[in-house]
Amino acid sequence: MDEKINLPIVNEEGCYEIRLESIGGLGANLCGKLLGELGASYLGLNASSFSSYGSEKRGSPVKAFIRWCAPDREIRISSPVEKPHILGLFHEALAGKLPVTAGVLEETKVVINSPESPETLRDDLKLYAGSVYAVDALKIAMESKSRVNMVMLGAIVKAAGFIPPERVYDLVRDTVGKKYPALLERNLEGVKRGYESAEEVHFSPDGRYEKVPYTEVQNRWGYKNAPYGGVNTRYGSTVSNDLSASREGYIPLFIQDRCINCGLCDSTCPDMVFQFVKGEYKGREAMVNKGLDYHHCKGCLRCVDVCPVNALVQGIEREHPDKKWFVRNKDLIVDHLEFEDAGANSWVTSDSYLEERRMDGGLV
Amino acid sequence: MERQKILFESGNELAAYAAKQINYHVMGYYPITPSTQIAEFLDLMKAEGEHDISLIAAEGEHSAAGICYGASAAGARVFNATSANGLLYALEQLPVQSGTRFPMVLNVACRTVSGPLSIKGDHSDIMYTLNTGWIILFADTPQAVYDMNLCALKIAEKVRLPVIVAFDGFFTSHQKKKCYVFEDDKTVGDFIGAYDAEYSVLDLEHPVSIGSYMNEPDTLNNKYQLHLAMEQARRVIPQVLEDYEALSGRKYPLAEGYRNEDAEVILFLLGSSYHTAKTAADRMREEGIRAGVVTLHALRPFPAKELYELCRSAVTVLAADRQDSYGAGGGNMTLELKAALKDHNSKARVLSRVYGLGGRDFYVQDALELFRQCLDGQAAAFDYLGVYPGEEDLQVQQYFAPISKEDASPGYISSRMEENGTIKVTGGRVNESTAMPKRLAPGHGACPGCGIPVNVNLLLKGIEGNVVLLFQTGCGMVVTTSYPKTAFRVPYIHNLFQNGAATLAGVVEAFRQRRKRGELPDEEITFVMVSGDGGMDIGMGSALGTALRNDHLIIFEYDNGGYMNTGYQLSYSTPKGAKSSTSHIGKEQYGKTFFHKDMPMIMAAANLPYAATAAESNPADFIKKAAKAREYASRFGTAYIKTLSACPLNWGDKPNTERRVIEAAVNCCYFPLYEIENGITTLNYDPEKRKKKIPVTDWLQLMGRTRHLAEESYSRVAEEIQTEVDRRWERLKARAEHPLL
Repeated sequence: MDEKINLPIVNEEGCYEIRLESIGGLGANLCGKLLGELGASYLGLNASSFSSYGSEKRGSPVKAFIRWCAPDREIRISSPVEKPHILGLFHEALAGKLPVTAGVLEETKVVINSPESPETLRDDLKLYAGSVYAVDALKIAMESKSRVNMVMLGAIVKAAGFIPPERVYDLVRDTVGKKYPALLERNLEGVKRGYESAEEVHFSPDGRYEKVPYTEVQNRWGYKNAPYGGVNTRYGSTVSNDLSASREGYIPLFIQDRCINCGLCDSTCPDMVFQFVKGEYKGREAMVNKGLDYHHCKGCLRCVDVCPVNALVQGIEREHPDKKWFVRNKDLIVDHLEFEDAGANSWVTSDSYLEERRMDGGLV
Repeated sequence: MERQKILFESGNELAAYAAKQINYHVMGYYPITPSTQIAEFLDLMKAEGEHDISLIAAEGEHSAAGICYGASAAGARVFNATSANGLLYALEQLPVQSGTRFPMVLNVACRTVSGPLSIKGDHSDIMYTLNTGWIILFADTPQAVYDMNLCALKIAEKVRLPVIVAFDGFFTSHQKKKCYVFEDDKTVGDFIGAYDAEYSVLDLEHPVSIGSYMNEPDTLNNKYQLHLAMEQARRVIPQVLEDYEALSGRKYPLAEGYRNEDAEVILFLLGSSYHTAKTAADRMREEGIRAGVVTLHALRPFPAKELYELCRSAVTVLAADRQDSYGAGGGNMTLELKAALKDHNSKARVLSRVYGLGGRDFYVQDALELFRQCLDGQAAAFDYLGVYPGEEDLQVQQYFAPISKEDASPGYISSRMEENGTIKVTGGRVNESTAMPKRLAPGHGACPGCGIPVNVNLLLKGIEGNVVLLFQTGCGMVVTTSYPKTAFRVPYIHNLFQNGAATLAGVVEAFRQRRKRGELPDEEITFVMVSGDGGMDIGMGSALGTALRNDHLIIFEYDNGGYMNTGYQLSYSTPKGAKSSTSHIGKEQYGKTFFHKDMPMIMAAANLPYAATAAESNPADFIKKAAKAREYASRFGTAYIKTLSACPLNWGDKPNTERRVIEAAVNCCYFPLYEIENGITTLNYDPEKRKKKIPVTDWLQLMGRTRHLAEESYSRVAEEIQTEVDRRWERLKARAEHPLL
């Protein structure tokens, strides 16, 4: 260990706290683990880290929490980070959807993976105040053949402002490099470029947006009104989930003129997106494909793969804000539906295999 | 003190690390969240040759406990880890282990007990073990998990009793913290010492009978011996912990307090919450309130005297239980605290609060609230912390109308019985199948490209009329019924995956009885049990029992080749050689070591009326088989359909390609499509005749989990798989060609 690191700012528990908000598959869990290890083994601090827990899934919201404190102090708290000193947002789809900015104060440093400007992001996030670091981590990861979480790691270290970058390079060499020597250089490149590209833009509390307090989730059903035994009387109620955030940039586009109404898309879609109704095709009575309900499309593109006539093709979502073939689920009996942004109930219960696969597979 | 090094690890990793250093002979286990990582980390280390422990993935926790029992009776050092309903499934074996006095160590990463199912942490599982005759240590930090695992085996062998090391699921099992481990494994070996089992079923020179049949006077004496051993443990545990302190510098009293010496108000709680409450005590002290906290490091033997001593100055002690002994006025620690204080004539008032069930976080504010309740003279003796009534006058809005029998009968597919007693299906075209309403609503949380909803939908497209569904535990269940929402638009029930088929058999019998008595309309219902994620391992007994009784229902297996809902541990149907989180590849290991289970043939051996395989790559065939299964279930009894179900996350392939991956599995004959009707086998698709047959490696290399098998260094394994696939395929063809086979 070189020189001793002193934390510039701590909360009443003596801790410096970091919260990462991400979508499963982007490696926030590993990034959190590395940040914990950075504190414990490379900065001479005491440290803890953990992720939000749940069933294994991809494309769902996930959180990671890191605490650092002086080496002689114990970390007594195991609950989630409520008021982060650093907030890392791994996916721009999180902006303005889930309450990811809860607990942000003026001294919070918000590191966001996005090509947008800090000013735009502040508005998208309705950010009360704080320092915004906008990093196009996806682009950097693609260019450096690294991964989003490595770029974010570098950016977060820069935003912290008190960490010599060599310490994080050492960490990456000793952990990622030891396990996957062949991938070391590109991952180091990702971390370095993340570090270099993180620039601070500070926003004072100017009254444009409210402070968002950290609150625990409360459902509308409680012990007085919920059906006993956990019985659920609202059949099919997942239809009110909007799963758009699960998509990774691509959507199926529907070219209705080409469609031969063969139904193969409906047979392969895991998300019941296609709306077939009784109609006429080539002058005969037939089930006809009217379009897709994108609220539930997770962008897996199975339908594109099976369509025999290219009536379904892969498109970049950003380029298609208006989709004329976007129809709502035909079976609904309500005129209005209040959607809830969702993945499923997240997150990681075990990671040894996944971590290996993701690093090896080079998913970004 | 011995040399130690710093690690940044979780409780699970440290339990595994301790086990590796001990180098146990055998670990019999079955994966269950949140304890699963212990076996995973041990497997990872095994692949790299870091220990010699035999890691045996049983087909359920009951069998895992059996493996452990047998190994310990054979003089081996034995280790296991489990949680929640897994612990309860094994519970019956725990008194066997302790009553016959064989030491072993079981880690319990504590989790709430179903149902309704939750995988998060609380103490409702561990409290079931209080009466089993096991020593129970409770670790409140990842460091303590490591330390207590080393002490546990030494204690176990000294008093010849099995020991549980319990800790908070997730809060301790998954949080990584800075901690110390001994640099040299030998330090650990020297501390624990050699083990020479006094009795062993492998001692041929001194043959012993283990597990006698006992009558009344002897059982009482035997149990008294167990009681005496537990009392001996009361003396031995502090000695071992003291020896350990000399070695490590870390001290673990049986009961521990913080600022309790002069405290008027004391919180008593277990696990990670103890540390959170310490912070609250500091804050209360800043306000001038004399507040303290106590916890235990052993639940059995119960350190009643030590607990009383720590609470001596208190006017009020609040026991916060992360479980409830419903109807007893508190959780088990409340009851034991009350007994301890009464025995020592304490005048302290005891309050009891149930908190943090199902992993509900425990914040400093919660601990402060508990202290405030201690200061309230009018506070209720017993209550729950953190419950809320819900929104007043909440109207339940339905998004759909219920699916009527008419809605679900578009009439595009029909089945009838032939003269020879077989069922013939007509119609069922894929384009027309779009007319079938989806019994499963969209908006569920399956991963992008998941095969489960695809396969369930294909099955249900072929089943016209009313359906009632049962899902066993697995991804299919988790992603569809995440409260307060559900994807099911038709009646649905879940049961744990040991018991799905039997549960649905009960539903079917109730249906028949109630229809006969006129309590239900005279309408057919098709009952479908859905299982996957290895549910046909732990649930095979129940499924076979149902098939043997020939209950009128369909068993549908979506085989995704692993326990995917818990992070892809191997199931018995994982391909040989595949890597999983319990079959890593490394210099000492090549992935899973045994062949995929042939479940359709096992079911066929029960001589049920209909067994079939189906694949999404042949959707019309799939739909027709569903219609056929419906007819067989209605007329004759149990029908079984198995499909191969893609899991992009854990198969390690691209979501959009899954139908092609499944097609390759069919074309290489790893997953041939056939049906067995009343014992007569028919091949529905012959890749050889269609000139589509491919080598099995062509399929294996499409998936990240098996891609390595196409490499030269794994060619022996690939050849073995090819030989086995060919053998099963040739046998299948012979069956199809000959009516007697």
